[in-house]
Amino acid sequence: MLILGIETATQQVSVAIGGHEGVLGMFEVSRGRRHAETLVPAIEFLCRQADIEICEFGAIAVDIGPGLFTGMRVGLAAGKAIAQALRVPMIGISSLDLLAFPLRHADRTIAAVIDARKGELFYAFYRPVPGGVQRVTDPQVSSVDDLVADLMARGQNVVCVGDGALRYRDEISSGTMCDFAEQFLSHPSAAPLVQLAHARALREDWVNPRDIQPMYLRAPDAQINWATRAAGRAGGAT
Amino acid sequence: MTADEPLTVTDSTLVLGIETSCDETAAALVMGGYDVVASAVSTQIDLHAQFGGVVPEIASRAHLDLLNPMVARVIVEAGITDDRIDAVACTVGPGLIGALLVGVSAAKALALTWDVPFVGINHMEAHLYAAFLEDPTLEFPMVVLLVSGGHTMLIEMQDHGRYRLLGQTIDDAAGEAFDKVARFLGLDYPGGPAIDREAVHGDPEAINFPRSMLHEGLDFSFSGLKTSVMNYVRKHPDVSTADVAASFQAAVVDVLVTKARRAAEQAGARGLVLGGGVAANSLLRERFLSVCTDAGIQGFLPSRAMCTDNAAMIAAVGWHRLRSDGPTALDAGAYPNLRLQFM
Ligand SMILES: [Zn+2]
Repeated sequence: MLILGIETATQQVSVAIGGHEGVLGMFEVSRGRRHAETLVPAIEFLCRQADIEICEFGAIAVDIGPGLFTGMRVGLAAGKAIAQALRVPMIGISSLDLLAFPLRHADRTIAAVIDARKGELFYAFYRPVPGGVQRVTDPQVSSVDDLVADLMARGQNVVCVGDGALRYRDEISSGTMCDFAEQFLSHPSAAPLVQLAHARALREDWVNPRDIQPMYLRAPDAQINWATRAAGRAGGAT
Repeated sequence: MTADEPLTVTDSTLVLGIETSCDETAAALVMGGYDVVASAVSTQIDLHAQFGGVVPEIASRAHLDLLNPMVARVIVEAGITDDRIDAVACTVGPGLIGALLVGVSAAKALALTWDVPFVGINHMEAHLYAAFLEDPTLEFPMVVLLVSGGHTMLIEMQDHGRYRLLGQTIDDAAGEAFDKVARFLGLDYPGGPAIDREAVHGDPEAINFPRSMLHEGLDFSFSGLKTSVMNYVRKHPDVSTADVAASFQAAVVDVLVTKARRAAEQAGARGLVLGGGVAANSLLRERFLSVCTDAGIQGFLPSRAMCTDNAAMIAAVGWHRLRSDGPTALDAGAYPNLRLQFM
């Protein structure tokens, strides 16, 4: 079965096509235009270059976060639309799982850390197991200090991965014995996404596009001020 | 039909419209630019009511949940299969950026999957077209009074795609004034319908609130009116809320219909059309029609459902834009401050 993977939970846009042979093609860019502008043309380009018709996909895999809400929803909205139009199921995988999975050959604990902005981080700990990684803590949103305290409490050598780890590298390394994964691994990628999704597809462990839910971890900021509201309602009804 | 060859836009061209710019998630199928085959709107008012306004993040989250069911519903209601859809039109602005992006991403993905053209639509232009969906015989030139939470504009439509801005608010939009005054009076959100309901029990002549700029030009100002309502209530704490609501509403409506009539007369318009969310206000609807009759101008009042945000108007403009300008590239984004192009 061919799977289309869509990943937009951080500043990177990543699209991959995978099947039982593994990853067949990938497009990835982490600067330049915004997610919504890049994503659909990227899917179109990748399909054309890989000589695959969109109707050949048997499932659509998406990164469900945690991550930056607006970007994450661009991928989810596009993925849900394609799945609905093709009448195929979806597979949702966490951005933190996607960061940890490429480090499965590490011989120690992995901290997957995504920059949540506003001085906070989304993170979870993983341990390598045969064939993959196993998440050992629930994904959470916390301050940098909380992560550092968490790492110190573990008292062991941990490898940190993700744009959050990179951004707060100095704070993290000052009190801990952490190593840091390569920079090019610091955004979740659609390559592990289609790989992990394929394994799930074999077990038919998937969801209806209507039911897939993003992992926000943060309640919506419900502050209203008249200035942003007026802009927001620029097209709005009353 | 594929996106690679130009689409010949005809009376049977079926456009799927998608709208997610603010707090309504909507989809619709419109044939030939006028014929609404199916239309579905899911309003999020209840989600935002407790906050007294639209919370952008809550709106975006709701759009993501609601959009697929809306699209599925109109396809089922129309009794068609997906392959009958010739194009996908979606609001690209103005509106809330996060909310717009949900619709734009989904619409472009649908267009790519179905291999049909995508058309990015200006939400304000769609409001101008709402009237055509109910009366395709409307003739140019016509003047549209567009009143919503974000806009108060008088626009002359000379032809499809040819618009002239005759006047607009220099401060608050009319809908914004309704919301702010309702909030001040302790009435429900949204303020338009709340004041409309409250005003029924009040005397519109109880308080003579100012009619700003009534005799000058075609621009509007509602900020002074809002302030004088607040000052009045502070000075007269025992005043009946219903009287304040009725008198405030009467002042707003007076200004709107007086200027709309002046605009229509100055432009030599064949018709005067009301549009936008505030066009659902009962007093405005009533006064609008009587002013048109007095002035001997053909007045057109779209139904309340067509005045508020919906996707049928998006699909309708989609048909016209596709015919005149062709598809929009798939690398289009969302443009929260998109403006209408005037001549
Ligand atoms: Zn609107």
